Amino acid sequence: MLPGIINRVKARVAGRSGPPLLQLYHDLARLGRKGVVMSMAASPGHILGVAVAWVATAGAALLLPLGPWASPLAFRGDAILFVYLLALARFCTALAALETGSAFEGMGAAREVSYAILAEAAVITGLLTLGVQSASVSLSEMLIPSAGPGTTLLALGFFVVLLAENCRVPFDDPNTHLELTMIHEVMVLDHSGPPLAVILHGASLKLLLFSLLLVQAVLPLSAWPWPAAIGALAVSVLAVAAAVGLTESLSARLAFSRVPMMLTTAFLLCLFALLVAWQGGAA
Amino acid sequence: MIATLLAFAAACALVAHLSATWAPRVWRLVTMAALGGLLTASLAVLCGGEAWEWRSAWALGGEPIHLRLDALSAFFAALLAVVGGASTIYSGSYWPDAKHPRSAPAGRLWWSVLLASLAVVLLQSNGLHFLIAWELFTLAAYFLITLDRRTREVRAAGWLYLAASHVGTLCLFAFFALLAARVGEWDLGPLRDRADLAPLFWLALAGFGLKAGIFPLHVWLPSAHANAPSHVSAMLSGVTIKIGVYALLRFSGWLPVPEAAAWTIVAAGLASAVLGVAFALGQHDLKRLLAYHSVENIGIILIGFGFALIASAHGGAAWGRLAIAAALLHVWNHGLFKSLLFLGAGSVLHATGTREMSRLGGLWRAMPWTTACFVLGAAAISGLPPLNGFVSEWLLFLGLFDAASAHGAGSWAALPGAVLLGMTGALALACFVKVCGVVFLGLPRSAPAARAHEPGWGMRGPMVALGAACVAIGLAPAWFYSPVARAAAAWDPALIVGPAPAPLLALGAFHLALAGIGIAAAAALWRWVRRTGLRRAVTWDCGYSLPTPRMQYTAGSFAAIVTSWFAWILRPARHALAPEGLFPARASHAVHTPETVLEKWIAPAARVVMEISSAVRRLQHGRVQAYLFYLVVGIVLVTLAAFAGGAR
Repeated sequence: MLPGIINRVKARVAGRSGPPLLQLYHDLARLGRKGVVMSMAASPGHILGVAVAWVATAGAALLLPLGPWASPLAFRGDAILFVYLLALARFCTALAALETGSAFEGMGAAREVSYAILAEAAVITGLLTLGVQSASVSLSEMLIPSAGPGTTLLALGFFVVLLAENCRVPFDDPNTHLELTMIHEVMVLDHSGPPLAVILHGASLKLLLFSLLLVQAVLPLSAWPWPAAIGALAVSVLAVAAAVGLTESLSARLAFSRVPMMLTTAFLLCLFALLVAWQGGAA
Repeated sequence: MIATLLAFAAACALVAHLSATWAPRVWRLVTMAALGGLLTASLAVLCGGEAWEWRSAWALGGEPIHLRLDALSAFFAALLAVVGGASTIYSGSYWPDAKHPRSAPAGRLWWSVLLASLAVVLLQSNGLHFLIAWELFTLAAYFLITLDRRTREVRAAGWLYLAASHVGTLCLFAFFALLAARVGEWDLGPLRDRADLAPLFWLALAGFGLKAGIFPLHVWLPSAHANAPSHVSAMLSGVTIKIGVYALLRFSGWLPVPEAAAWTIVAAGLASAVLGVAFALGQHDLKRLLAYHSVENIGIILIGFGFALIASAHGGAAWGRLAIAAALLHVWNHGLFKSLLFLGAGSVLHATGTREMSRLGGLWRAMPWTTACFVLGAAAISGLPPLNGFVSEWLLFLGLFDAASAHGAGSWAALPGAVLLGMTGALALACFVKVCGVVFLGLPRSAPAARAHEPGWGMRGPMVALGAACVAIGLAPAWFYSPVARAAAAWDPALIVGPAPAPLLALGAFHLALAGIGIAAAAALWRWVRRTGLRRAVTWDCGYSLPTPRMQYTAGSFAAIVTSWFAWILRPARHALAPEGLFPARASHAVHTPETVLEKWIAPAARVVMEISSAVRRLQHGRVQAYLFYLVVGIVLVTLAAFAGGAR
């Protein structure tokens, strides 16, 4: 549902009424009925990779706690598994894109995996911050005693990573038709029918997952009674979506040469948060 | 029982040496039997048996033979047996007598020498014999690298390897000689309380580190591993560089280690990991790229090893156990998936005759088995769940996170360590997406790639077996915990062998579920697609009606973003001929990443050494009068010195 909200916010800012909130689900149902046109160069991996990427993203989502409830699968070290499951999804998507031999998709895959290096450094630094704050390596415990001193820095850093990983403006434009300028959308040019539906669903799942991570890293939800916590969680996720929509409306896409700089900024924000947390723990 | 098995292996190895040149079938059979014996003996020790020790009553070269198979040597011996076995089978189809009538028999003989001397190095507990076996395996590896020495490139690679190895051996001569002089005997054993031996570890670090290929001592590695026949590359990369790691572990367990050396190992490990993969991204040669990934993975192993040393220097913190377990498990993992990848690269080379990635492409259609195995190995080396590479990287991350939150001595290093390790993982992923995409997917970029064919079962079988081992460690990591823990306990007796920790069991269960659900989801989506209908068409290249294979993204372009970030050390060379005029006749663009470390650092240093040597050589010119003059000057100086000493 989040892409719907973002689109609605963007439309409102632009003075239009915008598509319905559940437009994504209409799209998914329509795609699910359609046939598939596959490139002659592609192997079955073109379709199978999509399924594996979706499973990896869903698996990562299951590792996240939800407000006061710890994840059912939580164990020590699942924070690292979370990062690497997203990496597995990226591996499969990028290979599925290279299946077609299209230069555009090669370009998109190259950008995706290259920028992910910086994004991953930022995410690991952010998780390390949370780990140092809580002396734990499990997401369900790391996200509980949040609101440390460096929270604002961490939140900003995670927000930039969210924009980059989910291909929003200013890193990527999910709406453009100029394939030369895109990252994620260009990788799925040759997908159609049910696999495209799976990709779209996976992408919105990833957006939700990053919003949840961001909100729970900032708000100490588990200290509250559960109805309040869930309410606050829902409201904050909506606020994140609105913020993404506003960012998309109010800023232009960055030149590609400046994307690494922006991601390095996110990494530095997380790094400062880490140093603050580390000093706080040592004192 | 272990003695019987090892004696059996030795007898088989002897028969293998004798039969190597004239009876390839007998040779293959007895080599496999010898490796089987070695594997069984190692597993018996690793699964809880007592360490085995044997001292001969007679002397060889003035010293009694002293062999010992404890859990640490058994751990590496098992890797030797598995990778050696797979490569032995592979070599039969890859380097057959029919195609290489002269070099194939010689290759078999040197192969036997290599396997036997590696096993002896692992078993040896006498410094003198250790050094002899070490030199023997270095020489055997040289002859295997230069098995097909018709091209200049191969000869240069072999020469570089030989020169670099002997610089290392020089350090080891000094190390063993000084050790024997201070201890009073050549026999090796635990001497942890002799603090005066600590400085010797630096010599061992230089000598063994050169063999392991630590950055910047790795300069010999890429060209040697790239130019050797592929089964030899698999063995070199999978096992022999691990022997360097083994020796470092062995002597850091037996001798006291200065703390500065532990920090050096961590720093060198981080540098190797990040820069190894950065150099790998710049390569266009498939095997050279894989060779640079060996540098990266050795770096990961050393990070774990260095943190374990720091932990044991500070009272044995709990994260040290995780770090050493990660390092040991990564030794096995890297041995398995790197030999798998080299064998896969060998199959590509065998089928197309080229290692140049920009001439390959679209091989999945002709070589589905090789493609599947290679992609599996690529996912494993990128550290993706649910495969084995992730298990060891996960253990290492756990150790680093714990070290960071412990606020102890190691945490300043653990913070950058964890971040750089994460970046290494993402870089490796970028690199292997590039390799798999460019080599196996898309359309063939040249005629030989279009005519490729799948190799026979003699080459497919070893790849499938190694791939299965990668999957097994990934899906059931708890089974492999006790061998790792026993080897760690043999390294440092303070580490106690316990049952597999709960998070490891949870990770194994998650991996199983992930693999199961992933396969089920893939099958379900495939059926869904079949139901709604599947049509083939040309690639939708944004409206181009006829995309050609030449329009595909190349390996160089794919890596361009990252190589530009690392341009400060990679120094990529560009040769561009821009199109000019209204009707441009020809234009070209080529990017090439040189061996920067070798060309910019090592070669100038070597040149200085050569200049000094040739200056010294001017003293020796064959004129008897001048030699007499030297003698007179020498005698006068000695006399003066004697008088000066007497006067004082």
